[in-house]
Amino acid sequence: MFTTPSKLRKAGIVGMNWRNVRMIAQYNPRRLYPQVDDKLKTKLLLAKANLSAPELLGVVKTQGNVRELEEFLADCGPFVIKPANGSGGKGILVIAGRDGGKFVKPSGSGIDIAEVRKHASSIISGLYSLGGRSDVAMIEEMVQFSDAFDGFSFQGVPDIRIIVYKGYPVMAMTRLSTRASDGKANLHQGAVGLGIDIGTGRALKAVQNGRPLTHHPDTGKELATFDVPQWNDFVLQASMCYEITTMGYLGVDLVLDKEKGPQILELNARPGLAIQIANDMGLLPRFEVVDAQDGIERTAAERTVFARQQFVA
Amino acid sequence: MSTKQLQLKVIVLVLLVLGIGSVWYKNQVLGFSLTPEKQETVWTVESKITFDGDNAPAEVVLSMPENRKDMVVMDVRNIAPGYRFNFVNRDGERYGVWKSNGPVQGRQELFLRGTVYRRNGNSGNNVSPVPQEIVVDNESLRKAAVDFVASLDRSGSIRQRAVHLLQALTNPVNQDAVYLLKEAKVFGGKIKLARYLMRKAGLQASSVRGLFLGERSRKQKLKGYIEVADGDKVLLLNPRSAEVEDADKFLVWQYNDKPVLEVIGGSNSSVTFSTLSSKILASRAAVAAGKHSGNFLVDFSIYSLPVSEQNAFKLLLLIPIGALVIVILRNLVGISTSGTFMPILIALVFLHTTLLIGLALFLVVVSVGLILRSYLSHLNLLLVPRISAVLVFVIFIYVAIAVISHKIGLSAGLQITFFPMIIISWTIERMSVLWEEEGPKDVLVQGGGSLLSASLIYLVMQNRYVGHIAYSFPEILLVLLAIIIIIGSYSGYRLTELYRFEPMIKDK
Repeated sequence: MFTTPSKLRKAGIVGMNWRNVRMIAQYNPRRLYPQVDDKLKTKLLLAKANLSAPELLGVVKTQGNVRELEEFLADCGPFVIKPANGSGGKGILVIAGRDGGKFVKPSGSGIDIAEVRKHASSIISGLYSLGGRSDVAMIEEMVQFSDAFDGFSFQGVPDIRIIVYKGYPVMAMTRLSTRASDGKANLHQGAVGLGIDIGTGRALKAVQNGRPLTHHPDTGKELATFDVPQWNDFVLQASMCYEITTMGYLGVDLVLDKEKGPQILELNARPGLAIQIANDMGLLPRFEVVDAQDGIERTAAERTVFARQQFVA
Repeated sequence: MSTKQLQLKVIVLVLLVLGIGSVWYKNQVLGFSLTPEKQETVWTVESKITFDGDNAPAEVVLSMPENRKDMVVMDVRNIAPGYRFNFVNRDGERYGVWKSNGPVQGRQELFLRGTVYRRNGNSGNNVSPVPQEIVVDNESLRKAAVDFVASLDRSGSIRQRAVHLLQALTNPVNQDAVYLLKEAKVFGGKIKLARYLMRKAGLQASSVRGLFLGERSRKQKLKGYIEVADGDKVLLLNPRSAEVEDADKFLVWQYNDKPVLEVIGGSNSSVTFSTLSSKILASRAAVAAGKHSGNFLVDFSIYSLPVSEQNAFKLLLLIPIGALVIVILRNLVGISTSGTFMPILIALVFLHTTLLIGLALFLVVVSVGLILRSYLSHLNLLLVPRISAVLVFVIFIYVAIAVISHKIGLSAGLQITFFPMIIISWTIERMSVLWEEEGPKDVLVQGGGSLLSASLIYLVMQNRYVGHIAYSFPEILLVLLAIIIIIGSYSGYRLTELYRFEPMIKDK
């Protein structure tokens, strides 16, 4: 049932208090938070640094903008409307195509412009933001998901989470939704956590509810075959986020676009610790390797090379 | 980082020293008890002055008992209609002075009442100061005194020697003693004679006048006694019986040779004393004594507030203790609660309703609220109108619970009103969002965590010892602060993490 603190320390596992006191409080100054908490600010930062992310088509800031939506969307391709300050994937409307005057969702059902307007209006009034503060709605290009991960997830497309410590990518994983997790990608609700090797981009270990497994419980796909294409780009993009945010402890979420390659979806200033369970490995030894590089100036590309050499299974 | 760590350590150390130091001081020096039921004996001493008025304005002067380290006289009240009363200091001694508003005639009665409290742990160790020793001119008396002292046995303890001296003085066969007693007036009375002889015998003695604080005694007069220093203790000797008396119950009224009572404009004056003992809580006695002596820690504390405000603070001082429990549960144990300090507020409600009734009411309100709230989800309302709607639901539920339980004869249901509606509404809102986003399991985990924390906080808050310490020693908050700061910088594992990460250890 329970283990001892000394065993956890020996395995190099980072606990919540360690994360909060030694990582976040020390390397992520509070004044830097808005640039990752506000997805619009993040998007502008990423664009300025030429990092690839789903392209921002427009921002709906006022109810006046809502009235202009129809005209604005007339010649748009597939798009997504989401709140800049939303959390947990709430309030995201995906429009995959058009059918005459109708906007077609990925599920195939069509809605008309009035419903799109209402959705944008709800976002602005703060329906999906923390504490009900008024928000802005972002319209961005829909990602054309690569089919590389087909069959690995019960619903949706998995994203890749990379932990970047002082600019070095130290650990990665993906979360695969299951029927038990109700299609959600939360590990503690029964999603599968799959550790990804920083060196190769291939699957390491998979766990569900803390127990190891080899095949996806719903799709039956062999999890060991999970292999991220263009892996170096993933790691490099994540690593470059250090320069633009200057946050020392960062979680970077990426997805793979068919044509444009890895796309940064969002950044997280308080990345969770479940990644250790998915990798069956503690973060501390990797932090120590990076700490030993203090004082050595490296570019993002050099850090990526270093990390891929060091953190390989 | 290391300077920050050092700073933290210094702050924690200073807080601990200040907190523990003042608690120690209040306990050891001011007599604040660490346990709630400790009682102290206090005596009400009433002096009654009677005299006959001479049809002239009267002035009455009564010497006041000394405040000494071990005995504190407090709450002195004067009952004498038609007289103005005040205290005066003469030659460093305190007197109570009554002045009549006009000519007085006939029997006059003046009362002065005070409370005497013996501080614990401070008994004795100061002999009253000695006035100038009498110089005896009479050669034969002086010789008799020298002979008398020379005849005494010089061995034995101070106590034995003092008792022996008094016994010899009252021995009718001792020629010197008989002679000295006969001429006692030269020395200023038998008691001063005894004091004189004790000094000659090398004992550190002084004469005092005072009374014994009996459980209930009336019409006592001040009587003379002799104090003898015995190491760091003081022996109280009764010169009439040549016995050692219990100094702990003796109230020294006067140690100089001046009269106790002076009446100008009256005759047939006398003063008698009655005493009555009673038990009061040690902390109350300590507060009263501290106030009387104007001690800073007591004078500038919540005890100086009106009683109703003190009661409010009794509750407020418990809240930081609740916060400490929350800090421990969240950062050391790792229990998640819905709303950081919500459990403290729920625990405060439990203090009114008792635990089981409180838990039952909370569960009913929140579950019914969640059911009603789930309907609101479909309407996609904005945050503030949504909370307000929940608030209206909560009122409905309160009314329903109160009315239904009243009709079926369960008075417990009426206590529902103690629950703060805003907090309950927010709890329902948060739980509902959690249900939608994470599912019912998380609601149970967080709700259970909140109730467990609230119950624990309640158990701590309603503990009599905790309440007593928090109220009697508000300085303990500094210690609390130090502990919270220490936990705030604790980077070790939480108890729940020993469970969470356990699967990662097993196969190694």
